Amino acid sequence: MRQVGIVGVGHTKFGKSNVPFLDMLCEAALLAMDDAGAKTGRRNVIDQVFVGSMGAGMVNRVSGAASAVVDSLNIRPAMAETVENGPASGASAVKLGVMAIASGMCDCVLAIGGEAMREVSGWEGTDFVATMLHPTAEYKYGLTLPSFAGMFTRLCMTRFGVESKDLSIVSVKNHDNACQNPVAHIQRPVVLERITNPTYINATNPIVADPLRQFDMCPVSDGAAAVLLVAKDKQEELGFGHKPFVRVAGIASATDTHVVANRENPSDLLAVRLSAEKAYKMAGMKPEDIDVAELHDAFQILEIEESEETGLFPRGQGHIAARNGDTKVDGKMPINTSGGLKAKGHPLGATGVSQIIELVRQLRGEAAGRQVEGAKTGLAINFGGFGNNVVATILTTK
Amino acid sequence: MEQMYAYKCKKCGKLHHPRYIVCQNPDCDGREFEALPLEGKCKLLTWTRVYNLPEGYMMPWLNFGVVEFENGVRATGQIGFDDGIESGMELVSTVGVVRTRRILYKESIDCEEYGFIFQKP
Repeated sequence: MRQVGIVGVGHTKFGKSNVPFLDMLCEAALLAMDDAGAKTGRRNVIDQVFVGSMGAGMVNRVSGAASAVVDSLNIRPAMAETVENGPASGASAVKLGVMAIASGMCDCVLAIGGEAMREVSGWEGTDFVATMLHPTAEYKYGLTLPSFAGMFTRLCMTRFGVESKDLSIVSVKNHDNACQNPVAHIQRPVVLERITNPTYINATNPIVADPLRQFDMCPVSDGAAAVLLVAKDKQEELGFGHKPFVRVAGIASATDTHVVANRENPSDLLAVRLSAEKAYKMAGMKPEDIDVAELHDAFQILEIEESEETGLFPRGQGHIAARNGDTKVDGKMPINTSGGLKAKGHPLGATGVSQIIELVRQLRGEAAGRQVEGAKTGLAINFGGFGNNVVATILTTK
Repeated sequence: MEQMYAYKCKKCGKLHHPRYIVCQNPDCDGREFEALPLEGKCKLLTWTRVYNLPEGYMMPWLNFGVVEFENGVRATGQIGFDDGIESGMELVSTVGVVRTRRILYKESIDCEEYGFIFQKP
């Protein structure tokens, strides 16, 4: 199969955007194009643009986002499609770009992910995200993603002995990492004592979806991220020979039941396990080959359980690893060096692309203040629905 | 009062909730189902109390749970009481209004949707 890699990355500052949704996508796209040295107009070499977004139509009243971006960037007549795959829309856009190049249909693809969720109230945002749940068996009851995360956490606490404090440990670690990431939404450290002390915990860290508290879940963010993908055999010819080629060694997705209750074991994340296994197989790698990982910690319990389902730690040991500091930047298996969704932020469609950009920064040695020394291979997990559609990506410079 | 149903595959007998288009048994391709009342005793597998409810729910919190009925069918729904909720406890299913949607057309119409509300036996 044709080798596909990333030669340009662009990332807006996550948080509250001051520009309209489409402008935000274009900002990330131009940053990625400038990083790679890609030109516009007659000198454009981009064959295809994929835009990943969950709520463009529902929240921002924007449809045909990819077509609009191609026009704004003056890269017509590049092909353009918008991809919707819930919170995994971003990694799906990258996956489609890899497929397009690997198939020989394209030589150069721009994959963008973006979301402007803070244009609506928190109640409307919570409702919009919940529309990915099963319409008659889940959504109509008022269930939300935090609801399922709360029920999932309770199962993991019973099955594996995960404690509330373990979630806080992950949260503190990710906030520390975000302080070193200039594009993170919340660049502020959190003190473990302050969010776990039973004397005042209900004031500093209130319950949102029992047993989950405020610091056990991500904020609501706006943001966009973009990567420029190119075929290895065309890198020089298209003018990107001067950039490091971060190879997409494996990329795969897997699905699970839409109705969470109907999973054989509702405390398993089967689609995480299967997508990671497929990506490892495609890359010819094993979990031991991973130097750094970006896992989808929309809820801190997910970082713990995904670290096990991807084989980075044995089943039931993820929370122990977090307690031991193994997942810190200088630990045995650094996870979410970007700050994760918890502190970097989680603009749904942008997240999958953002995770991949953090891996590119790590593998290029550009993650100042949070660099994993000698990192050559990274894994990203982008989690859609409550785990019913997951994309796993492995990047390498080996 | 509406009735909640399990859906029995006419080909292999597997019970489902909610209704599917194709039987979920990996060794069956049945597409026809018999609707059977889904009610009675069930066991609470996990639960949560949620304080940040979505647009349209004007209460301070709601309790939700996943249960398993005696016939093995699982379902998610609201829990209709606040005190003493514990995983593993026995419950009974009732059916009630779980959401009211306001439809605006000339004058507003409230559209009630029914679903599981689990109660103590």
